[in-house]
Amino acid sequence: MSPNDLAAIVPELVLILAGGLLVLADAFGPRLRPSFGLLAAASAGVALALRWILSAPGAVFGGVLAVDALARFVDSYILAAVVLVALVSVPYLQRTRAAFGEFYALLLWSAVGAMVLAKADHLLVVFIGLELLSIALYVLNAFHRDTLVSLESGFKYLVVGAFASALLLFGIALIYGGTGTLSLAAVALSVRTAANGNALAIAGLAFILAGIGFKLALVPFHAWAPDVYQGAPTPVTAFLSVVPKGAVLVVLMRAVVAFTPAMLAPHWLPLLATLAVASQTLGNLVAIAQRDIKRMLAYSGIAHMGYALVGVIAFGHDGAAAVLVYLAAYTCMNIAAFAVVSAFSESESEQHLITDLAGQGWERPFLSFALAMAMFSLAGLPPTVGFVAKFLVFRAAVNEHLAWLAVVGVLNSLVSVFFYVRVVYFLYMKPVPQRAPQFSEPLWTKVVAGACAVVILLLGVLPGTLLAAAELAVKALVR
Amino acid sequence: MVTEFLLSAIIFTPSVVALLLLLMPRAVIRLHRWGGLLATFATFGFALLAWSRFDPTTTGFQLKEAHAWLPRLGIGYRLGMDGISLLLVLLTTFLQPLVLLSGWRSVKERVRGYVVAMLVLETGILGAFLATDLFLFYVFWELMLIPMYFIIGVWGGERRIYAAIKFVLFTLAGSLLMLVGIIYLSFLYHGQSGVWSFDYQDMLNFAVPLGTGFWHSPQLLLFAAFALAFAIKVPVFPLHTWLPDAHVEAPTGGSIVLAGVLLKLGTYGLLRYNRSLFPEAWQLATPLFITLAVIGIIYGALVAWAQPDMKKLIAYSSVSHMGFIILGLFAGTVASMQGALLQMINHGLSTGALFMLVGVIYDRRHTRLIADFGGLAKVMPLYAGAFLITTLSSIGLPGLNGFVGEFLILAGSFGRHPVAVILGATGIVLGAVYMLSLVQRVFWNALARDENRTLSDLSSLEIAAFAPLAVMMVWIGVQPGTFLSLSETVVRRLIGG
Repeated sequence: MSPNDLAAIVPELVLILAGGLLVLADAFGPRLRPSFGLLAAASAGVALALRWILSAPGAVFGGVLAVDALARFVDSYILAAVVLVALVSVPYLQRTRAAFGEFYALLLWSAVGAMVLAKADHLLVVFIGLELLSIALYVLNAFHRDTLVSLESGFKYLVVGAFASALLLFGIALIYGGTGTLSLAAVALSVRTAANGNALAIAGLAFILAGIGFKLALVPFHAWAPDVYQGAPTPVTAFLSVVPKGAVLVVLMRAVVAFTPAMLAPHWLPLLATLAVASQTLGNLVAIAQRDIKRMLAYSGIAHMGYALVGVIAFGHDGAAAVLVYLAAYTCMNIAAFAVVSAFSESESEQHLITDLAGQGWERPFLSFALAMAMFSLAGLPPTVGFVAKFLVFRAAVNEHLAWLAVVGVLNSLVSVFFYVRVVYFLYMKPVPQRAPQFSEPLWTKVVAGACAVVILLLGVLPGTLLAAAELAVKALVR
Repeated sequence: MVTEFLLSAIIFTPSVVALLLLLMPRAVIRLHRWGGLLATFATFGFALLAWSRFDPTTTGFQLKEAHAWLPRLGIGYRLGMDGISLLLVLLTTFLQPLVLLSGWRSVKERVRGYVVAMLVLETGILGAFLATDLFLFYVFWELMLIPMYFIIGVWGGERRIYAAIKFVLFTLAGSLLMLVGIIYLSFLYHGQSGVWSFDYQDMLNFAVPLGTGFWHSPQLLLFAAFALAFAIKVPVFPLHTWLPDAHVEAPTGGSIVLAGVLLKLGTYGLLRYNRSLFPEAWQLATPLFITLAVIGIIYGALVAWAQPDMKKLIAYSSVSHMGFIILGLFAGTVASMQGALLQMINHGLSTGALFMLVGVIYDRRHTRLIADFGGLAKVMPLYAGAFLITTLSSIGLPGLNGFVGEFLILAGSFGRHPVAVILGATGIVLGAVYMLSLVQRVFWNALARDENRTLSDLSSLEIAAFAPLAVMMVWIGVQPGTFLSLSETVVRRLIGG
C-alpha cells in the first residue's frame, strides 16, 4: 500500500470518519442531534468536492480498485444522493422521533460500500463493497424498531440480501476454482482462451448474475422489493432505490467490458434481454394495481432497471453512456418522489395510499408540483430528464440493431404512463377528502424536492453537460 | 436583428409569461387573466411580424435559426418556417387570445393554472409547427400532452378523467412508436452518410431504402410509425374514438384549441414528414388513406346527425371534415393540396367558433342537449345570427370560407379519384342536413321551455371573442388568394419534386 493508494480513497475515508464521529457525538452530545443530518450532508459534500479535486489515478491497491473517470461519475451521484437523503431525513426523523446519529453514520457507511462497489475490479472487492452497503442498509431499513412494517422490511432485506450474497460468494468460489484468479480481467481472459469453455467459471458467472439480479430487483429476483420499499423509513427507501442499483449496474458494466460483448453475445445477451423485458413488463403491469405509492414506486423501480439494462445489452460507447445518464436521471426523479412521499404521510405504521394525495395539488402546490414532475419524468415525457434518458437508451438499442428492444421499451412506457399519471390525477383532479390528511411541509423537504424538480426540468431541456460527463466517464471503459 | 430570434420569440413568449405568472400570487385573478391575454396577443403580433418578413416566392425554410443542442448526436435547436407552417402559426396565434377570452367568465376556479396550461400548450403547438429537427419536433409534440391532460382533467365536464387519460394514452400510443421511428431514421441516415443527424433538411435529401415486403422495408415501416402517430391525432377513422370524449369533456377553451389547432398537427405531420420523407410509401398507402378518408367523411356525418348533444355533434362533424383534408392531401394535386391546407384553417375557424358558441349557451343553461332548446332566435337574436353564420361557413356556403376549401379539394381530387370525390360529396350534403337541422331545432321551432325565455343575448365580451372569427370567415371566403398564395410555392415544389 503506497501513499498514492490512500490518497485515491480519501473521500471514502472522510465518510468513514464522519460516520464514526456521528456515532460518538450521539453518545456524548445528544443535544447536537438536530444538526446531525446537516453534518452528514456536509461531509458527503466534502467527499464529493474531494473526489473532483483529487486526481483519478486509475488502478490502485494493486489493481483491485479502479479510481477512474467512471468511478468519479458514479461517486458523484451516489454522494449527491447521500446529501439529498440526509437533508430529507432531518425533518423526517424529527417527526418520527428517531433522530439518532447512528442513522446518518449507517447512511454514510453504506454509501462507502456503494462507492467501493463502483470501483471494484476484483471479485473479492465486489463482495466486500456489497456487504458493506447491504449490512448498513439492513439496519437502516429496520430503523423504526417499534414499527412492525419497518422490522419486516429490514428482516426481508436481510434474508434476501444474505441469500443473494451467498449466491454471489458461491459464484466467486466457483470462478476461483475454475480460473485460479479473482481479477475481472484475468477471469475474462481465462474464460475466453479456454478451448472448450470453462464450465466451472461459467456456472460461477451464472450465480453472480443471479446475485446481481437480486440487488437490482430484476424479474424473477424482484419479489422482495415492494415489501422492503414499503416498510423502510421513506428517506431510506429513496436511498435504497437508487444507490445500490447504480453501483451494482456499474459492476455489471465493468464485467461486460472485461468479458467483451462479442463473447457474451451468443448466450449471455439473450439472457440479459430476457431479464430486461421481463422486468419492464412485470414491473409496469403490476405497478398499475398498487394502492400504496411506495409499493408502486418499487414496481416502477423494477421496470426502470429493465430499461437501464437495455443500455447494458446494447453495449458500446453509446449504450454505456446512456446507462450512466439513466442512473443520474433515475436518482433525481426517485429522490424527488420519495422526498415528497416522506412529507405526505401522517404515520409510518400506515400505508402511503395514493388516494390520500387527493386534492393536494391545490393545497400544497410546491411539493405537489415536484411530485408531478417526478411522475412525468419517470413516465418519460419531455421536457424532463426521464425522457432524455429513455431516448438515449432506446437510441443505443436501435444503433446496435436491437430495435425490437426499443419497441418493447416504448410499449412498456405507454403502460407505465397510466399509473404515473394516476398520481397526478389524484393530486390535481380529485377534491380533498372529507377528513383532510394533516401533512407537514418541512423546509428541507421542500428544498430537496424543489432542487430535484428543477434539475429534472433543466437536464431535460439542456442534457448536454450530463451527456458529455457520461461520455467522458465511459471513454476509458469502452472503445 | 429581430428576424434572428423571431421564431423563438413566437414559440417561447407564451411559456416565458407562464413562468412569470407562476411566480405571482395565485389569488390575483385579474393579473393572470390579463397577463395571459397580453402574452397571446404579443405572440400573435410576432406571428404577424413573421408574415410581413415572409417571402412567399421562395421555396425552403425562412427565418431559420440553428443552435447546437446535442451536437455529437446530430441534434440541434433548428427552426424554420415555410408557407405551410406560416399559415398554421397564424391560425394558432389568432385563435389563442379568443380561447382565453372564451374562458374569461366561465373559468372561475384555478384561473392561474388554466392560463398557464393554455400558454404552455401554445408553446408546444407553435414549436411543433416550426421545428425543423426531428428530435426537437418530438419534444414539442409531446410537450402538448401534459397541459392538455390538465385542461381536460381539471376544468372539464363530468367524465373528464376518463376523457383525459384516454386522450393521453391514445396520443402516446402513436407517438412513442414515432420516437423509435425517428431514432431508426437517424440510424439509417448514419449508415448511409456516416454522420449522425436529426436535421429535417438532411432527411429531405436522404432517400430511405424501400426494401422488399413490409417487415423488411425501412421506408414502409417508418411511414407506418409516423403515420400512426399523425393519423391518431387527425383523427383518421377508425382511430377517432378518443376525439368525441375529449371534445365533449374539455372546457370550451380546450375544445377550441383541440379542434382548431391540435387536429391540424396530425395533417401537418402527414404532409411535412410522411409526404416529404417517404414519398414511395406515400404512393403505396394512398388507396388506404383515401378509403379511410371517405369512410370518415360519411361515417362522421351520419354519427353527427344522430347526436342529441350539440358538442358531440360538432365533435363528429370534425371527423367528417378532417376526412376531406386527408382526401385532399392524398389526392396529391396542387389544387387538392392547397384546398386541404386552406380547409385546415377553415375548420379551425368554423369549428372553433362553433365550440365557442356552444360554450356560450352552456354557460347560461348548463346543458348542451338539443332537445332542451328551441326558438332561441326570439330571445337571443345576435347569438342566433352568429351561430347561423358559422353554420353556413361550416357547411360551405359560397362567399364564406368553407366553400373555397371544399371546392378546391373536390375539384382537385376528381381527376384522380372520381369515386372517392362523389362519395365524399355526399358528406357535404349530409353536413348541410345535420347542421341545418341543429339550427332549426335550437333556434327556430317554438319557444317551448320557460327557462329559455329569460336567456340573455351575447355580452360585449362574447361579441368581441366571436367577431374576429366572423371577419376571417368572410375574408377567406371573398379573398382566399391572400392565404393560398402563401403556400402555393411550397406545394408546387412538393408536387413537382
